[in-house]
Amino acid sequence: MSSRGGKQKKGNVTSEQEEEEQPLQAVLVADSFNRRFFPISKDQPRALLPLGNVAMIDYTLEFLTSTGVQETFVFCCWMSNKIKDHLLKSKWCRPTSPNVVHIITSDLYRSLGDVLRDVDAKNLVRNDFILVYGDVVSNIDVSQALQEHRHRRKVDKNISVMTMVFKESSPGHKSRCEEDDVIVAMDSKSKRVLHYQKTQGLKKLQFPMNIFQHGSDEFEVRHDLLDCHISICSPQVAELFTDNFDYQTRSDFVRGILVNEEILGNQIHLYVTQDGYGARVSNLQMYDSVSSDMVRRWVYPLTPEANFTDQQGQGCTHSRHNVYRGAEVSLGQGSQMEENVLIGRDTSIGANCRISNSVIGNNCTIGDNVVLDRAYMWNNVHISSNVEIHQSVVCDGAVVKEAVRLNKQCVLAYNVVIGPNLSLPEGTVVSMHHPEEEEEDDDDEFLSDDQEVGHSKDKTRQKAFNPAEVGPEGKGYIWKASMDDTEDEELAQCLWGLVLNPDPESDSESEASEESQDHSRSVSPEIDDVNAFQLEVLGTLQRGLEENIVCDNLVLEINSLKYAYNITLKEVMQILTRVVLEYPFQQQGTQLTTLQYTGSLLPLLKTWSPVFKNYIKRPQDHLDCLSAVEELFLEQDTHQTAMVKVLMKMYQLEILEEEAILKWFSTGATNDKSRQLRKNQGLQKFIKWLEEAEDESSEEGE
Amino acid sequence: MPGADKEADLTERIEAFLADLKRGGCGTGPIRGSGETARETTALLRKVTAQARWSSAGDLMEIIRKEGRRMTAAQPSETTVGNMVLRVLKIIREEYARSRGSSEETDQQESLHKLLTSGGLSEENFRQHFVHLKANVIEAINELLTELDGTTDNIAMQALEHIHSNEVIMTVGRSRTVEAFLKDAARKRKFHVIVAECAPFCQGHEMATNLSKTGIETTVIADAAIFAVMSRVNKVIIGTQTVLANGGLRAVNGTHTVALAARHHSTPLIVCAPMFKLSPQFPNEEDTFHKFVSPHEVLPFTEGEILSKVNVHCPVFDYVPPELITLFISNIGGNAPSYIYRLMSELYHPEDHDL
Repeated sequence: MSSRGGKQKKGNVTSEQEEEEQPLQAVLVADSFNRRFFPISKDQPRALLPLGNVAMIDYTLEFLTSTGVQETFVFCCWMSNKIKDHLLKSKWCRPTSPNVVHIITSDLYRSLGDVLRDVDAKNLVRNDFILVYGDVVSNIDVSQALQEHRHRRKVDKNISVMTMVFKESSPGHKSRCEEDDVIVAMDSKSKRVLHYQKTQGLKKLQFPMNIFQHGSDEFEVRHDLLDCHISICSPQVAELFTDNFDYQTRSDFVRGILVNEEILGNQIHLYVTQDGYGARVSNLQMYDSVSSDMVRRWVYPLTPEANFTDQQGQGCTHSRHNVYRGAEVSLGQGSQMEENVLIGRDTSIGANCRISNSVIGNNCTIGDNVVLDRAYMWNNVHISSNVEIHQSVVCDGAVVKEAVRLNKQCVLAYNVVIGPNLSLPEGTVVSMHHPEEEEEDDDDEFLSDDQEVGHSKDKTRQKAFNPAEVGPEGKGYIWKASMDDTEDEELAQCLWGLVLNPDPESDSESEASEESQDHSRSVSPEIDDVNAFQLEVLGTLQRGLEENIVCDNLVLEINSLKYAYNITLKEVMQILTRVVLEYPFQQQGTQLTTLQYTGSLLPLLKTWSPVFKNYIKRPQDHLDCLSAVEELFLEQDTHQTAMVKVLMKMYQLEILEEEAILKWFSTGATNDKSRQLRKNQGLQKFIKWLEEAEDESSEEGE
Repeated sequence: MPGADKEADLTERIEAFLADLKRGGCGTGPIRGSGETARETTALLRKVTAQARWSSAGDLMEIIRKEGRRMTAAQPSETTVGNMVLRVLKIIREEYARSRGSSEETDQQESLHKLLTSGGLSEENFRQHFVHLKANVIEAINELLTELDGTTDNIAMQALEHIHSNEVIMTVGRSRTVEAFLKDAARKRKFHVIVAECAPFCQGHEMATNLSKTGIETTVIADAAIFAVMSRVNKVIIGTQTVLANGGLRAVNGTHTVALAARHHSTPLIVCAPMFKLSPQFPNEEDTFHKFVSPHEVLPFTEGEILSKVNVHCPVFDYVPPELITLFISNIGGNAPSYIYRLMSELYHPEDHDL
């Protein structure tokens, strides 16, 4: 069917390309491979969740079709049957569809990497293809990007492997997903990506020096980009994923390509657009903002009244203040639809309701005196009278009884019953699945939506619903018992994204601009690897502490990192020492008093002493370690008194030998500062003590 | 089976057209001009007539109506599509009547008495089978296509009657018809054109560029300056998206401002509108009347924080009431707004008004 390609082509795409005969292909990944939408996505895959009463995957397919894609491969994993059923019923699988959709399902996909490896194995793509997730909502015309991509590939043979589509939007924009915030350094002329880093949670950003020393004289460091998660890939991308079996996500890939640029010679480019709209619904926060953007017509022509899915009875009308009404909607007396409201067909609303910025699905019933603001109600929801809902999601079949109040960021998953007379606190998640089922499944380390449903079924022992949590007639389990349970807090953050702390972003931004300004600073290029290594070591140690990993394994891991980043043994030691000594600062902030510092450091030293011992063997190693210690305390000059304690502990733990310390003390001083350091009283005492001890031991030896 | 193949091809063509309509117009109005849309619709309907299975005029009308409903639903603001469907329906009625031998005239001149007594032409009457009907209908549609091809030229030909030397003409936005009209006049006469830029899409800029390329003295003004400049203007010549059944206009944003200013200064307002833009719609149909596009042009998406605090709208059309319009120039000559109802009954059959 793909043979009838040529008819649909868009004028500007087709210019002077001889490969044009090939139909444009796309790979659509209809699985998120994470559990952001968790209790909701337990019942319905994310791609089928309704956004503006239309399944998200339909937006993605419409986007692909309108850019002229003629063949789409939809990869499904979690609940693939549901996705398949949906697609077979939709207009995309009608014989007249200009975009031929192939559905490929497998339970074995664990990540984007697996999907692309499968693409390569099955040899599905023959030409450049568009890679998107099943939850991307966009109306960007990528034909321009496609053209640039093709042009680049023609000019220098197959060097550019990927063009990522970004939308310009300044920081603080509500449609920017903070998890996806990136900082990108790129060559202004060639649009080549030089550096790509996610900024989430980072206070400090580091740029490898070599990106500034590159041939081009103009480059940009940008933080005003919104990742649309649309990428134009060459067929090599799939091959590269096969070659590098550890690539899981696109950012792994991008990082890999950038790191290995010199070796493999592959490049990644960027396409920044100002027009159009593109965003990925990666958490509920994004769901909220994309929904409201859609209702506010930012995604035109993908508007609710356009009925682009071409389904019977889905049409609705658009009137002033962005109020959309489906067929057979009834509205009680005195009810107001203030603005940005979308109401699905056959929904009835009682009297004196106030509805604003909300989306209400099909077949819902809403009682009298209901206040809805930023409420997202899916199909067949029943809301009784006197209910108030603010910025919450209410899934299919949920029932909210009389006088219930849902505060911000509540989620009622499928078929939950709440109330009556209850106020759910902010961020409550209620689901018919018990959270404990979930915990038992937690050993699934891949964090995929993919879950063993079967085995949760045999646990039919229904636990009683807690009337204090969900109301006297309520049905459902609260997923977030209290705020002090860290895991549940994480869950809420996952669902709604990290909206609550907008500060780090602004921090990192200023940092970024600062960094970009003083790029003339002369730092050797390999600093990049060393820093990366340092971060990795820190991560490893942290994990070791949290998960109680045996020191032998830590050593093993550090050794493998050493090879990965090509670090000399000497550097390993210096970095290790540094990381350990800085660890308390890293964890508890830099405002520690010396007492607190030593208090938290000394136990750590004890825990990790086998790691040290593994690396510090030759006399030279001891000196290197000591000089690293010295260097650190020279920097942290307020804590110099702690140095003695550290050295003492290390001596006691037999990490350092006394000769080495003495030798370091007598010879190591190279400049004023270190000489100053050695005049420290505590240190002097310690050395003296050591000398005496040595004398004694030598006497004993004789 | 070649027949099935043809049908599949036909449905595919229709789907492609529908999809195009739906995506059509990312802000600056439709990608193609409405003239082209009209031609494409008619060509498609001709294809339907030629390839669909029907045995009598009634069947054919039913098929055309069905497709027509889908086409109009795809982009309600593009009334040209609906108009063309009505025209084709009218053609079928006429051809059927001719085949039966009754005069077309009787059909057209419906008196109140007739309406009351006949009870309308029942569909039964269209059941008769005629061998030549298909060929005749296709022939008539071809004539319609020829007429469509010539509309712009027909309108432009009348330019010299309306534009005189050294006049100052104001126009707003960009209209292909007006552009041709002015260019035609410029071949013989010298005059000055003031173009209102028509924010936020600023189609006026393109119009001005095109005009000045042919040597017309052109000035672009901001929309806010329309009233101030109007006192110097001799004539306002504008295009429109749709001519409504009451003689009003649905035209690009800013036209109402121009029309009011023209009325204030008693400047004549001439509307260049080909007949295919005449729609049986009345301006009270709120649902389909407006078209709101992405507010990007009004307040760019890149703005950041402010966007979550404000509501931004970007309507595309204005309604201009018929009182403000002096004259319509169509491909069949000039008409006053009050005469539109008559043209309407000539072009469309009253029973078809709602598909």
